[in-house]
Amino acid sequence: MTSVDAFMRAVAVRSFVCGFALTLGAGFAGASDNKIALIPGGPHPYFAPWEQAAADAKKAFGIAAVDFKVPTDSKLNLQTELIESLAAQGYKAFGIFPGDAVGINSTVTELKSNGIAAAALAGCTQDPTDVALCLGTDVYNSAYLGTKELIKAMGGKGNIVHLAGLLVDPNTTLRENAVQKAVDETKGAVKLIQTVADTDAQEAADQKINALLGSQKDQIDGMIATGYIPSVVASKSLRTLGDKRIKFVGIDDDKIVLDAIKDGFVAGTMAQNPYGQGYIGAYVLDLLASGTCTMKADAPWIKTPQTAHFIDSGTMVINQQNLTTYKDDLKKITADIQGKFKTTYMTCK
Amino acid sequence: MTEEAIGDVSVQRRRATIGGGPAQLGLFVILIGFWIFFSSLAPGFLSSFNLFNLGREVARDIVIGFAQMVVLATGGMNLAVGSIGVCAVMTAGTLMQTFALPVPLALAGALLLGALLGWLNGFAIVRSGVNSFVITLASANLFSGAMLILTRAVPLNALPPEVGAFGRLKLAGSVSPLLVIALVIGAALFVLYRYSTLGRRILAAGANPRAAAMSGVPVNRVIVISHTLSGLLAAVAGMMVVARLGAAMPAVGGEEWLLPSFLGPVLGGTLLSGGAVSVIGTVLGAALVTTLRSGLLVLQIGSYWLQLFLGLILLLAVLIDRYRGLYAERMRVVRSS
Repeated sequence: MTSVDAFMRAVAVRSFVCGFALTLGAGFAGASDNKIALIPGGPHPYFAPWEQAAADAKKAFGIAAVDFKVPTDSKLNLQTELIESLAAQGYKAFGIFPGDAVGINSTVTELKSNGIAAAALAGCTQDPTDVALCLGTDVYNSAYLGTKELIKAMGGKGNIVHLAGLLVDPNTTLRENAVQKAVDETKGAVKLIQTVADTDAQEAADQKINALLGSQKDQIDGMIATGYIPSVVASKSLRTLGDKRIKFVGIDDDKIVLDAIKDGFVAGTMAQNPYGQGYIGAYVLDLLASGTCTMKADAPWIKTPQTAHFIDSGTMVINQQNLTTYKDDLKKITADIQGKFKTTYMTCK
Repeated sequence: MTEEAIGDVSVQRRRATIGGGPAQLGLFVILIGFWIFFSSLAPGFLSSFNLFNLGREVARDIVIGFAQMVVLATGGMNLAVGSIGVCAVMTAGTLMQTFALPVPLALAGALLLGALLGWLNGFAIVRSGVNSFVITLASANLFSGAMLILTRAVPLNALPPEVGAFGRLKLAGSVSPLLVIALVIGAALFVLYRYSTLGRRILAAGANPRAAAMSGVPVNRVIVISHTLSGLLAAVAGMMVVARLGAAMPAVGGEEWLLPSFLGPVLGGTLLSGGAVSVIGTVLGAALVTTLRSGLLVLQIGSYWLQLFLGLILLLAVLIDRYRGLYAERMRVVRSS
């Protein structure tokens, strides 16, 4: 490589980084004294990127505080207690993964009546609801695409099992329906022989998935997991089994799953965008809390079975072809959504 | 020993424990102390928003505490408080949403179910002679399981809007009507145990079942009545949760109510061995636990510490109860000699 090439490459890299930072910072109108909290449903590895997203959003948008606060357990009453306590301490806006799609609405209504904004992140509340928006993975579409990817990897026929998440997770029913839809489209070539729910907790996943494989692995040709933990557990179990006959598509990008894709034990995984959900969520909540902007009624919302105010934070298949480049693709998706968000979804003074 | 004689001794002990006494006064002082402490460190603690939410949490915990207290009075315990609560929640939701019954009728139906489930517990205990710990542990799983099968764990969120509106109602800017209801129930229980024959009989049966039976107290009947009352109160707590959420959800109640159901009464002076209750103490005990929970959250002390603190408090409460029981026994010996 010549010195001119090296110089041009350095310029290109620096331009990209600056451009990326500028794009991410677009819409930053000055420091705000708002305190914003991102509240997951409970302790779960999916939400780990929210901590970094909160810190980055605070810095990029000059927000006084963007804090990641975790309830001690995945229980609605613990989440509402935490939210109420933070509201009493002056937090002005909340990004919430609903502990329950229905049960959280009462708390959201109270927040609104006290002038506190709320957005649903990574999972939606059930309409009618007072959250300003729901920013998350189109879980139905993600599960549908994931199942299609699995069916393709299986050669279009066989028996599959769906490893589903917590029954109290608002997304679980949507995912079950999506998997069934993809199976129905094969007109009998693929059969969904079992849905194993409540596998999105470590002990339950270990027990159920290993028991399933231990007793029925000869009847199973493919598995689709629509939860973070069952994806990791199934990847480990298939590697332990040494069985590359059973095709598997999971969700999220845990290192164990990615390594299993690299080594051929797993066909692929559906990436979500937790970092983007936290980052963009904080940005939007700051604008809402400042009173600078409101949501547009006629924005291009996506209507889902849960809500009429859904915004897709992006999803994609990770497989052996894009294993090393998928993170850049997700960053581009985040930057793109955040850059256009104000003009697309908000009316600002 | 006649019922009147039992009455004389237990009246003195009752007055010392039901209406108030050194234990409850100490608890009240501790509660005020924590309020001063938390409000000085976190001004948001005394905001009308926080006080209102605190009031709602306290109301629910008080009634859950009462549900356990009325059974502790007989020397037993009810591990199915949470299960009965969630059964009542889903019954109310089903009656309101699926069957479109008016709200008062649906509430009455849910309360009736709670009382019935409590009655079943009491009936099973007296008929089988098996300890209430075992019976109510089994019935807790039975009731929860049946509820999940019948409802398929589907929450009901299309309840009449007045249900949620009641839960969000504020009196004098920061008082929830749920708290008022809890205190009215407390007043009724106070009258029951202090002034009524039934209350005296319940305490006598709890203090010494054999002596009470020999004195003509229908011990089995009062145990059944206590469990029925416990089920009813658990259902009331369930209705408070429905009002709070504006929805009927199968994820509420259950094991979550077990710890608060014991903390309030035991901290407040109700004896685990039976024979003495403290209504005011239960109110103060529930208020103390909720205050601690709210205060620690408002101070942003890691929410994981809450579990540790609540466990320590329960341990402390049990040790105090043990000491109180030994002291009461010693006083009984001194008086009889």
